[in-house]
Amino acid sequence: MKIAARLLWLAAAIFALAAPLFLERGSLNDLWNLAFAVILASAWNLLGGFAGQVSLGYSAFLGIGAYTTVLLSLKDVNPFVTLPLGALLAAVFSVVIGLPAFRLRGPYFTIATIGVAEAVRVCASTVEFTGGSSGVRMPAASFDFNTNYFAMIALAIVTVALAAWVKNSAFGVALAAIKQDIDAAEAVGVNSTRFKLAAHALSAAIVGVAGGLYAIDFQYIAPASVFDFRLSLSIVLMPIIGGVGTVAGPLFGALIVNTLQIKLLSMPALRDSFLFVYGGLLIVVMLFEPQGFVGVGRRLRRLVHA
Amino acid sequence: MLEVRRLSKRFGGLLALSSVSFDVGEGDVFGIIGPNGAGKTTLFSCLVGALRPTSGQVRFRGERIDRLSNPAVVKRGIVRTHQIVRPFRAMSVTENVAVAAYFGAGRRRGADAERRVRDVLERTALADVSGASAATLTIGQLKRLEIARALATEPRVICLDEVMGGLNPAEIVGAMNLIRAIRDSGVTVLMIEHHVHAVVGVSNRILVLNFGETIAEGAPQEVLRNPAVVAAYLGDDVRTEGD
Repeated sequence: MKIAARLLWLAAAIFALAAPLFLERGSLNDLWNLAFAVILASAWNLLGGFAGQVSLGYSAFLGIGAYTTVLLSLKDVNPFVTLPLGALLAAVFSVVIGLPAFRLRGPYFTIATIGVAEAVRVCASTVEFTGGSSGVRMPAASFDFNTNYFAMIALAIVTVALAAWVKNSAFGVALAAIKQDIDAAEAVGVNSTRFKLAAHALSAAIVGVAGGLYAIDFQYIAPASVFDFRLSLSIVLMPIIGGVGTVAGPLFGALIVNTLQIKLLSMPALRDSFLFVYGGLLIVVMLFEPQGFVGVGRRLRRLVHA
Repeated sequence: MLEVRRLSKRFGGLLALSSVSFDVGEGDVFGIIGPNGAGKTTLFSCLVGALRPTSGQVRFRGERIDRLSNPAVVKRGIVRTHQIVRPFRAMSVTENVAVAAYFGAGRRRGADAERRVRDVLERTALADVSGASAATLTIGQLKRLEIARALATEPRVICLDEVMGGLNPAEIVGAMNLIRAIRDSGVTVLMIEHHVHAVVGVSNRILVLNFGETIAEGAPQEVLRNPAVVAAYLGDDVRTEGD
């Protein structure tokens, strides 16, 4: 089973990397979108799933990465060179928020993250150097689809591999203990603040890079696009639907949400109903299978073996 | 080894601990008794850094530890168990203990941590259920799991908070033997316990708290004969059962 699962992961990675050889541009775009979603969902899952700290403020990190890339590119820096800096800034910002916010627990932490992300959005729409609410555009001729495609796929692979490594490491054990009982974890020596900050910074850095790649691809960003609260919501939705706290869950969640979105957007009658559908899906998952799609899979496997 | 000086803890209008002082020597089994609400668990919380004392000092091997966080105190070698058991319910028994082996004073990894976990599970008679989910254990096993996790952090001082609560007489004898074995392995023991005879049986010193204040401290038999202790806590029947 273990080996079969690994081969499946490997096949998916090779398929995504080799896709430009046999798929046309439209399908590659869909794959690009899927990889983007997988990155956001898996990165969020490091803190939200493994450590149980539900943040609704991840648009802040995406926006910081995106703005870093655009603003520096306008100063003639190669866009891909700006990515590590975007990651660093997002990580630093995650620590700055995390230090006070991690003193809060459960829903109070979640509410604080919403507040911070909204504050960042308002700031970005107000201050001058970000171009205000009308946003900023990348310099002309800074886009090459293939480079961006490979970069996004590579980041998705690295993120999922990193999640798998974290889950099986001592770091992952600490996060699991924090999720289950933070006081009991502290009582046996787990420095919960440090591990929460580390998970937050790691996921923020990944989302920051994804934000930079998003900016390179879309060529134009504005506070209403990259700092949108609905973006933060859908980042949370994917791992929950797929299976929170698992490695494969965010991938399935991204696949389900992405497919649904494409289907819904292509049906004029249902265009505007996708938030309604997501909400319903979320309620069904929370009521019947908190482990999401992965949990359903486990149940089926038990049925087959029983 | 452990010096507690004028330790107080206030929760709003309630003085849970009022200027408590005592010394624990290396190799002691130091019993702490007192009625419900006497401040016993609060005392443990202050010792390990889970609560910050309002005033007073705690020194461990000469170093002040009353401003340290709980994990920092654990890494220096003082650990506590929880009266109301707090297992990581989604983990197996082995995984529960492994967390402590990873992040306790020993900071073990890999095969080294596995050895430590196996050793602790043997000593606490949990080896047979090592693969079971912590959610499926009996209360006696959960109490031992609390002790096992604490031991896996490799403490010099272990604070046991009512590890005999809810156990049957046979299990209490087992728990007393386990506490003696922990002491014999070189770990100093502080224990909160309601079973007075069990405390007297294993402790060499006893502290009695009532309403956050020390009402007696000393050798077990001496403390049990103290009229203030008898009046506050033990009742007349103990005097007749006495020695």
